Amino acid sequence: MSWIREKELSFIERLTANILKAGPMPKHIAFIMDGNRRYARKLHVERQQGHMHGFDKLAETLRWCLNLDIREVTVYAFSIENFKRAKEEVDGLMELARQKFTRLLEEQDNLQKHGVCIRVLGDLDMLPLDIQKLIAQAVLSTRTHNKCFLNVCFAYTSRHEISNAVKEMAWGVEKGLIKPSDISEFLLEKCLYTSNSPDPELLIRTSGEVRLSDFLLWQTSYSCLVFQSVLWPEYSFWNLCEAILQYQLNHYTLQRAREVHREEQVLEQLEADRSCVADLLQQDGTGNLLDSQSKKDLLQKYTAEREKRIHCFLNILQEKRNNFFVELNKNSLASAKA
Amino acid sequence: MAVLYELVLRLLHALLQLQRAVLSWFRRRVGNSSNSTTSSGGWRPWNRAVAAFLLLLPLPFSPGPHKHTATHKKLPTGINRTRARFRVVGKPVEKLPLHVGLLVAGEEPRYNDIANLVVWCMAVGISYVSVYDNQGIFRRNNSRLMEEILKQQQELLGLDCSKYSVEFLNSNIDNTDQQVLSCKATVNILSPSDGKSSIVKAAQKFCQLVQQQQKRPCDIDVNMLDSFLQGPKGFPDPDLVLKFGPIESTLGFLPWHIRLTEFISLPTHVNITYEDFFSALERFAACEQRLGK
Repeated sequence: MSWIREKELSFIERLTANILKAGPMPKHIAFIMDGNRRYARKLHVERQQGHMHGFDKLAETLRWCLNLDIREVTVYAFSIENFKRAKEEVDGLMELARQKFTRLLEEQDNLQKHGVCIRVLGDLDMLPLDIQKLIAQAVLSTRTHNKCFLNVCFAYTSRHEISNAVKEMAWGVEKGLIKPSDISEFLLEKCLYTSNSPDPELLIRTSGEVRLSDFLLWQTSYSCLVFQSVLWPEYSFWNLCEAILQYQLNHYTLQRAREVHREEQVLEQLEADRSCVADLLQQDGTGNLLDSQSKKDLLQKYTAEREKRIHCFLNILQEKRNNFFVELNKNSLASAKA
Repeated sequence: MAVLYELVLRLLHALLQLQRAVLSWFRRRVGNSSNSTTSSGGWRPWNRAVAAFLLLLPLPFSPGPHKHTATHKKLPTGINRTRARFRVVGKPVEKLPLHVGLLVAGEEPRYNDIANLVVWCMAVGISYVSVYDNQGIFRRNNSRLMEEILKQQQELLGLDCSKYSVEFLNSNIDNTDQQVLSCKATVNILSPSDGKSSIVKAAQKFCQLVQQQQKRPCDIDVNMLDSFLQGPKGFPDPDLVLKFGPIESTLGFLPWHIRLTEFISLPTHVNITYEDFFSALERFAACEQRLGK
């Protein structure tokens, strides 16, 4: 089963898609694909079979998203907590990943045709080395594509991601690239694995569970959450349409809430800069001698410097992350030659 | 063609809004009429009295919305027995959340209804209650909310009042001199600044320690950051969030802490009845957590 299905919608589905597209559409949807095992139990087949069906459904859903002009999808493929499952099942899931990423590398022409960029988000060090290498190859070979984006969360939990972002910032502080006072919501966001994507506007969880299970906790603060009772392998085009309708009904208010939050962030940043400048002046002991104009100039200068520091740090961080994949890929090429 | 599509979509949205409106109107009608069967006029005080009785009902006899009237009839005879039972058993539901978040999303917050909910939470034995709205209205007016809670507590729990004490965080009013007795609830009023900003502050704190060379970057992990973010006075993570209102979103409610939180969505908190609240608790009790396994 391949990653991209060449199947067109039926007439009635196309009609519905066009109707939906007349309203506000999410640009980015996140899925928690829950219910593979319950599906297998229901059909009296092996668990592994359920996971395979789940993957097929993902390929189908990606196709629907393309048809609906939704250009970015993030899926929760494997949580760090899932390592606690029975060894057989974990091994089975790893084997499935191995197959699918190998398949992905064989399908590169197809991916190029559609311009699909694959990103894998998570702590890859936790995975077997051969899968890490496969992932590195897949990520590197599709990173220039920019028509649609598929983010696969693998060995991922949101708390781990946030802790990792703090670790990266602490590293920046240790190297003297940034100051602790430079840390803001904006910077933290840029240190998450999802730094290159906008926040998902819609999060869908299947199989009737009503929790986030440590998935994109930071990014979905102002997203529309839709919990559907259908099991993931039985997910249909109509379920997707229903979720999008829900989103459309919530769209306006959520957008407002997000804007208000963004404005507050800007004010907070200004306040933080002001207090930093005040601290600096106090240290100099010149604070009282300056008039308001020169204080304003100082504030502007400080803000510009802070932005420069952050910009520089983020560039270095991005480079560090790219290098991680390049190194992995190099190793795998070297071992292939040997 | 595009115009036609838009028209159809508009119609669809309008229909969905209408469905919502009809549903909420219907619910209100049903709520009112069942109350008016127990009293001939001025149902509001009666409603409260009934709610106060219902508070003392343990789960096996507790009403689902459909059994509504039947339990009302039972009440007068069962009351002493059930009250005694409530005292002994303490927790009427099989699995009770330790910490409940009350999240008002896209509605005008109503103090007395939220106060009712808080008091009900206390009465069933929930130890921690958080109240949140994304505009920080409750936080700004927290003294008003607290007064309302104390008032409702007097009214609803009347005789048993001494058994329940309530403690408010982030307030100037000191309630700690109240005797701590069998049912103690801690109420925390939250706003968006307790969410992402608190994570940013924790990150700043850690990075300052790194700058002073007391810590190394690799020291940070999930457990350590969690200890930085521990709520006031050891608030556990919320295990249940009751979300009121038409918006299907967390609206920035404690992003770090809602990892395993169950979200149960109720259409509104305006004039909410004890039955609605209790059936949400029952739904929570039926949820199974697999914790990744």
